[in-house]
Amino acid sequence: MDDRRATPRTALPAAGARTASVDIYAPQWRNFIFVAPFLFFFTTLLLVPLFWGMWLSFHKADTFSSGNFVGFGNYIRLFHDKVFLQSVWNTFYFVLLTVPTLALIGLFLALCLNRRTRTAAVLRTLFFSSSVLSVTIVTLIWRIVFIPNVGLLSTIYGWFGATAPAFISDPSLAMIGIAIATVWWCIGLPMMLFLSALQQIPQDIYEAAALDNANRWQTLRSITLPSIKRTFVLVVIVQIVLQFQLFGQAWLMTRGGPNNLTKPIVLYIYDTAFRRWDLGMGAAASEVLFVLILMAAMAQYLVTRNKAGQA
Amino acid sequence: MKMKKVLFAAVSAGVLMLASPSLAATELTVQRFFGACDADFGTNTDVAKAVGECGIITSLINKFNADNPDVHVSVSTVEWPGYDQLTAQFASGEAPDIVTIHESALSDYQSKGLLMPLDDLLKSVGVTPDSFTDAARNGATKDGKIYGLPIDSWTMLYHINMDLFKQAGLVNADGTPILPTSPEELLAQAEQFKQKTGKPYFVQNLANETALYTRNLYTYLFQQNSDFFADPKHVKLNTPEAKKVVEMYKAIFDKDYTTKDLDYGGAINAFLAGGGGVQLNGTWVVGDNNAQSETKGTALNKGGYAVYPYPQLFAGAHAQYADGHTWAVSQKDRTPEQTAAIGKFLKFFADHDFDWSRTGHLPAYKAIIASDAFKALPHRNTIAAVADLGRPLPSAVQRQFAIQDIVGEEMSAAITGQKDVDAALADMESRVNELLANI
Amino acid sequence: MRAPTISIKGRAFGDRVLLALVILLSLVMVAPVLWVIGLSLKENAELMANPNSVFQAPYTLKNYINTIGTSSVFVWVRNSIIVSGGLTLGTLILSSLAGYGFARLNFPGRNVLFVIVLFGLAVPEQAVLVARHQIFSMLNFHNTYHGLILPGLSASFGVFLMTQYFKAIPKELDEAAMLDNASRFRTFWKVLLPLTVPAQATLGIFTFLGAWNDYLWPLISATKKDMYTLTVGMASTQTNFAQSEGIGFLMAQAVFAGAPILIVYLFFQKYIVTAVSGAAVR
Repeated sequence: MDDRRATPRTALPAAGARTASVDIYAPQWRNFIFVAPFLFFFTTLLLVPLFWGMWLSFHKADTFSSGNFVGFGNYIRLFHDKVFLQSVWNTFYFVLLTVPTLALIGLFLALCLNRRTRTAAVLRTLFFSSSVLSVTIVTLIWRIVFIPNVGLLSTIYGWFGATAPAFISDPSLAMIGIAIATVWWCIGLPMMLFLSALQQIPQDIYEAAALDNANRWQTLRSITLPSIKRTFVLVVIVQIVLQFQLFGQAWLMTRGGPNNLTKPIVLYIYDTAFRRWDLGMGAAASEVLFVLILMAAMAQYLVTRNKAGQA
Repeated sequence: MKMKKVLFAAVSAGVLMLASPSLAATELTVQRFFGACDADFGTNTDVAKAVGECGIITSLINKFNADNPDVHVSVSTVEWPGYDQLTAQFASGEAPDIVTIHESALSDYQSKGLLMPLDDLLKSVGVTPDSFTDAARNGATKDGKIYGLPIDSWTMLYHINMDLFKQAGLVNADGTPILPTSPEELLAQAEQFKQKTGKPYFVQNLANETALYTRNLYTYLFQQNSDFFADPKHVKLNTPEAKKVVEMYKAIFDKDYTTKDLDYGGAINAFLAGGGGVQLNGTWVVGDNNAQSETKGTALNKGGYAVYPYPQLFAGAHAQYADGHTWAVSQKDRTPEQTAAIGKFLKFFADHDFDWSRTGHLPAYKAIIASDAFKALPHRNTIAAVADLGRPLPSAVQRQFAIQDIVGEEMSAAITGQKDVDAALADMESRVNELLANI
Repeated sequence: MRAPTISIKGRAFGDRVLLALVILLSLVMVAPVLWVIGLSLKENAELMANPNSVFQAPYTLKNYINTIGTSSVFVWVRNSIIVSGGLTLGTLILSSLAGYGFARLNFPGRNVLFVIVLFGLAVPEQAVLVARHQIFSMLNFHNTYHGLILPGLSASFGVFLMTQYFKAIPKELDEAAMLDNASRFRTFWKVLLPLTVPAQATLGIFTFLGAWNDYLWPLISATKKDMYTLTVGMASTQTNFAQSEGIGFLMAQAVFAGAPILIVYLFFQKYIVTAVSGAAVR
């Protein structure tokens, strides 16, 4: 590294007639070249589709023919559609099930595994490992846990002569089943975030507490938790944004059933646009999702800004 | 090290794929459902040895490739029914040449000009529509033209475990099963069955299922002469007739006369393991079930296997919901060789429809239905009647698969008690009409 | 990993309770995977007759042999490597250039442009899905590698991360180089870029994992079987067990599909953990 840092000087071109009296921070058009490649992709692949989608949401269009302008027609249909409203509720319910669980179990694991033993290291590796698997493998694994007959759960219940709860098809359990698979899949990230926050806490505070004969619970409450408050908020917001985008687990485990009780907004969009060919309405639903995520992102911005202000 | 090996394996597998033989043969892409079974039948060309939908179709296409060295068909197997994917493929201009489409779904694609009319092509290879059965010809004809080569007509059936029926005392003196003739009788017999065997009368795949619910409803609406699709753009499902059917199935569910949380695969396994008396499933499992009943030690081998059309429970028409599979051809610019190759493929399937009918499906050709070879197949004496009973939805009804999802979802909500029956029927009707109004 | 060095009586007991809880949770993590591996080693017919047979011999490698013989899982893995690798490389290049540009250089409209890029962070992929699919259809981009890679290149996260990182590097370093009349690109390439390796690693790992696990876009874009990525390929066989080669076969396929990324994880674990923690601190 250090060698490289020195290279430019030695490898300088032998220009030098001009002295460097130019202000290197003056705005110059050619500097734009650095950001141009990204902005090209950003504009063509994100901004254009975003505005195209808004345009589309005001049209009655299907997959094979673009149709007429219908104004807010698609939005009106959308908010009269019980299934859409159900899917919005489902998404919030799913976030409510998973985010607190992820945050609390993640924190618990981080507190337990924040030590230098070999066992702790192995367990950390283990708890994070599921996060690298793709959603299709995760759902396959959990379907094979929940499925009647050859499922792990029904086998275990079978030993006790009981019938396993139907986590895939029971109306009141299906979303919980999806949430269990999701927590299993996603627990690694919150744990790691908490672990790194715990390691930022200066050791001497703990030493002082030990001298005061504080017990473990007091140490946790008065030192550890306050120190990681900011990380906790970060974890919660990151998870809200991530879990709000639920699609794969629901589509692959339950297809959104029974009777749309596990259909999240993204699956509603997929269903409407790509299975029912109703592109305009799919685009309208996309815009609603966009606004909801934008609000979460704003919340994140406000929270982080306030914290920075306080610090 | 391990990582390198995995990479190497992945790369070499890729190279092998690229190097697969393609001589100068005309390439055709075929996309189908019916499942994947390459481990068992991937290289089999002896169709007579194959059993079941997947085995027979895989072997048939293998045989076609072997018989026609100048054509090479490469097959993609998609998950049933494969329409999400097909739609996306059409949207991106990447549709396969030949694809399996239900008669009930043909008009969705045909109405958008995505399918090729086959009349001339079929004529050029000597397949004439008059050789099709009436059901198949009607199903494959849209706007007066043939848009798919029909390969079968199918319907749902009562697949019966005779051993359990004997235990339940539901067998006539001549050894045939006693089937109900009214909703009340159905519930009484199911109760008797449960008392005597301790098992549910029905084996149904109700876990996140829509197709089975919907077909059951259509069948018993037909039997009550309810013309719910009198107008193909507007459905009437919030009717006393529909309520009767839903309440019947709700009673079956509430009184534990049926398995509840099984998915499709689970229901098949449960029936084969003797988990209930009657499996509600299609013509396509007749071959598999029959093969099981001939295998020593299986639940179906104990007392035998029988299969019947849905019993007539109402006083109206003698009818039950039916549909059919076809090979459709995507609209595309093709060389004369490619078109000729497609003709050969369709002709091959028309010629081998008997092999396909061994699955349990009804043949799509009059000559085969009338043939002794077909009549000699097991159980055809009891199920041949569905050739006359089978009735599809009116062919002008679009998005039948999307409608099936809605109807099935609401029915399941009513039957499992999530929703009141009336509310579910009202929602069912308004959701279907909303869909149809916005096509 | 630092542990607080406090000693309190009764600690040992409390520790044991916590350990028991953690071990219970780790069982929940491991048991499903072991179940999958167990099923993959059994004959299908035997499984159907009695799921408890997983715990008894005979075991067989038949499912694995069948997978190698007939499954396309290796093609899917290849496609996923190409797509994830391509996207990671592209993202690193674009984000580094743009990050340097936004952090260090001035040009007309810079601040406005940066705010617009930040706004991109709040646009979820799903919100532009429908329109993007339509545009790609018109361009005939579906069922191609670039069709799978390109959408990911529009993500703002990398630019945001790299801009922050470049800003954190002391300005004196590049000012010295610039005063020596080194071109801006040389300064970027020779002086600053080598310093950003840790951020590159973070970004690279996140991008690679994200692309490897992406499901929604490949599901609607890669509709031909030779273009399936691992996620789509696995999904195409799994939802209806009855129409597949059987549970044992599917499980063996899942093992083949999951193994590469798990092995990569075990090898690069330290970097991944550092990357994740790095992202947290920022």
